Amino acid sequence: MSKRCVQVLNEALHEVFAERDDVYLLGEDILDPYGGAFKVSQGLSDAYPDRVLTTPISEASLFGVAAGMALRGQRPILEIMFGDFIALGLDQIVNGIAKFREMYDDQVTVPLVVRTPMGGRRGYGPTHSQSLEKLLLGVPNIVVVAASECHDLRELVVSAVEDERPVFLIENKLMYGRPNRRPEDGLIGELAVRESGARYPALTFSGTDFTEGTATIVTYGGMVPVVLDAVTELILEHEIFCEVVALSQLLPIELEPVFESVARTGALVTAEEGTLTGGFGAEIAARVQEACWSDLRGPVQRVAARDGIIPSARPLEDAMLPSAHDVVEAIVALEAVRS
Amino acid sequence: MLEIVLTREDANTEFALLAEWLVEDRAKVELGQPVCVVETTKATVEIEAPGVGTIVQLFAEGVEVELGKTVAYVAESAEELASLEKDAEREKPAPKPPDTDRKATRKAADLAERHGVELAAIDKRGFITEKDVEELIARQKAAASPERGSLLAGLSTENVSLPASFDLDESAGALDPTFLESLRSDPGSFRRLSPEAKVSALRENGAQVGEGVVLGEGSLVAAPQVVIESGVEIGSRATINCAEIVAIGESSQFGADLELQCRRAFLGAGIWAGRSIRFGGGGHRDPWAVLTVGDLAFVGDEAFVNVCRPVLIGREVFLTMRSLIVTHNVGHSLLEGFENRFAPVVLEDRSQIGLGAVIYAGCRIGAEAIVASNSYVTSDIPAGAFAIGVPAKVTGSSSHKVSRARQTDLARRMIDDLHELLASRGHEVSAIDDGEDRGFEVGGVRVAFAPSFSEARPPSVVLTFELHGQPSEGVVVLDLLAREVHGSGGGEVLESVREFCRKRGIRFEPGPWRYQGGLV
Repeated sequence: MSKRCVQVLNEALHEVFAERDDVYLLGEDILDPYGGAFKVSQGLSDAYPDRVLTTPISEASLFGVAAGMALRGQRPILEIMFGDFIALGLDQIVNGIAKFREMYDDQVTVPLVVRTPMGGRRGYGPTHSQSLEKLLLGVPNIVVVAASECHDLRELVVSAVEDERPVFLIENKLMYGRPNRRPEDGLIGELAVRESGARYPALTFSGTDFTEGTATIVTYGGMVPVVLDAVTELILEHEIFCEVVALSQLLPIELEPVFESVARTGALVTAEEGTLTGGFGAEIAARVQEACWSDLRGPVQRVAARDGIIPSARPLEDAMLPSAHDVVEAIVALEAVRS
Repeated sequence: MLEIVLTREDANTEFALLAEWLVEDRAKVELGQPVCVVETTKATVEIEAPGVGTIVQLFAEGVEVELGKTVAYVAESAEELASLEKDAEREKPAPKPPDTDRKATRKAADLAERHGVELAAIDKRGFITEKDVEELIARQKAAASPERGSLLAGLSTENVSLPASFDLDESAGALDPTFLESLRSDPGSFRRLSPEAKVSALRENGAQVGEGVVLGEGSLVAAPQVVIESGVEIGSRATINCAEIVAIGESSQFGADLELQCRRAFLGAGIWAGRSIRFGGGGHRDPWAVLTVGDLAFVGDEAFVNVCRPVLIGREVFLTMRSLIVTHNVGHSLLEGFENRFAPVVLEDRSQIGLGAVIYAGCRIGAEAIVASNSYVTSDIPAGAFAIGVPAKVTGSSSHKVSRARQTDLARRMIDDLHELLASRGHEVSAIDDGEDRGFEVGGVRVAFAPSFSEARPPSVVLTFELHGQPSEGVVVLDLLAREVHGSGGGEVLESVREFCRKRGIRFEPGPWRYQGGLV
């Protein structure tokens, strides 16, 4: 059985710590034996006590310190306990980290990595369950990478640490406990998978070995297993075959695998766990209609959380967040447009 | 004996989710081996075995467990295990749900069940679809009857009712080779024979020819195997010339000027075909030039069916006037990129091809689909679809749902129309109205519609939607929805009612059947 994602991430961190002595980890409650809220950093402080720095509860200063370390040639990794707390560091991100390199005429780089879990479905309430990566999508000169249980998580961590640009590595709370499902013999489950050669690769899934498809669904992160469930249901129950593009690099936006898939299927659905308005799906829809107008046979459909504040109660949270059923309905709606 | 307890990880948590067991129940565990994953509000924790021994689990996966509780024991000896087993009997972890990993789609599983085939026989990467099962069924059929399989080259016969003659013996109706040779070298002398002389000449030389067969003056039937069942009529100057076999089911009728040329022709019973019809054309001598036409099919005047690859026409198919089926094209060099296609055509049961429509090589028209007049079909049309245009596109369904109230209304109107028709033809018709039932009496026979039928006074012809029990002697029941005739008697009146229904698309079992003329 595949290793669980938390273990793969943990091993990758141990690996980069062993490889490079300029790597540091900063965050709250990351010292052993606690090892971080989701146990991703377990064992690191015991092995590298000088390079694992537990910090007070102040994300703004945490980002500031890390930015300074990166400017001086170190490779800090920040663990932000919950993705929601990114908001506390936004000034450092928007007015500092993203801008230093250009403001100093390329004389410096800011090679820091921010690791943080996003996503709900655990009943953690309004300030611990959000998917806020869309707040980062308009910030120039940073890299936003979303990990999913089907990506090579070790490779994502290593690439992020090696990157000279500031990288936000978005993890997912439910992902940690799940197996890291990598393609075996070109398949994940019964779906054929192709992996783009990009530094932060996109995975494209097909139930027909890429011979035919009704629509393309583009998604990332914690929505990947939800969309794969929906696609499997569409195949098993209706024999409707959709392709799925699971991006890992959300910013800078690179949509070649999406364009290729849409050329085969002629329709697009976007799926994200964040709220609908001003989201990832809106940006993708704009770009795909620009690039693939002649391939599209209907309007791009968006699946996302309902606009609103995420509730604590699990049933209310479920009602707000996009489900596999929502994805199935979006595809069925597309089919209705078609006929 | 060691205990595995869920310890409290942070202050504000009362319960934790036992997310996953990493070892099987009763497995041997080592000291420090992770045995389960527990999730609390902020943390996901692996719990390690406290020592060496056999684990006895007390909770199932996915259960919320109160912090501080014991979730498992580790038995360090056989005696400990035995005593734990006794206790565990009382609080056994719920069995894991069965493995629900499915590879086959619902459509595939349903089809496999209907045909009694094992999905395990499909060795394939990825999902198993309806198409995969269809191919398996076709392969199994081909293996069970190699002759038939190779004949259709694996073409699926799903939704195509083949005529009974398709399963004829190799030797049935084998014609004397010398006689066949004379038919081919000097067809004129056979053509000059009278219809009766033709039938006896064929019979004397080995052909299987039923009673009441009429081979029109000037017609020619030549094939190494000839099987013509009773009541078949073939028009006056028809030419039937098949390289291997021609088989025609009972009561089929073919008009004048028919030309039928292919390697093997299997025609069903009760087929009605108009004038100047042509089956054959280029490639009709090809080994794959196989034609099957199902029972009760209709082929309109001047229809042309090119047969160089299998053409399967299902039961009750309407191939109307001047429609055209091609199984190959002719054009410029394929080496220069021009299309060169040879492919079968399938018209599934009860499909309808409109006036002047063209069905291109490789297309399959689904059961009960309708192709509108003058359409040009270049791709498969799904079952039950209505397709129109050049090229044909599906724009809707071929039929719509009719409520029971509407059905009843339509059936009553049919009875009224029939009443009016008979009256206008000068027959003595008197109306009857027994509450729900609607009808009339003609020639001493009552004709009535009743939504459901249980009994009626003889002699009667009753049209109904539901038949309860057996109709008594002298009563005939026409079940309009099941399209079945029950009972006997009714004579000319029954025949006329049946013909009237036929013209409204309601064809009954038993078929085939021929209207000998009567009241309508």
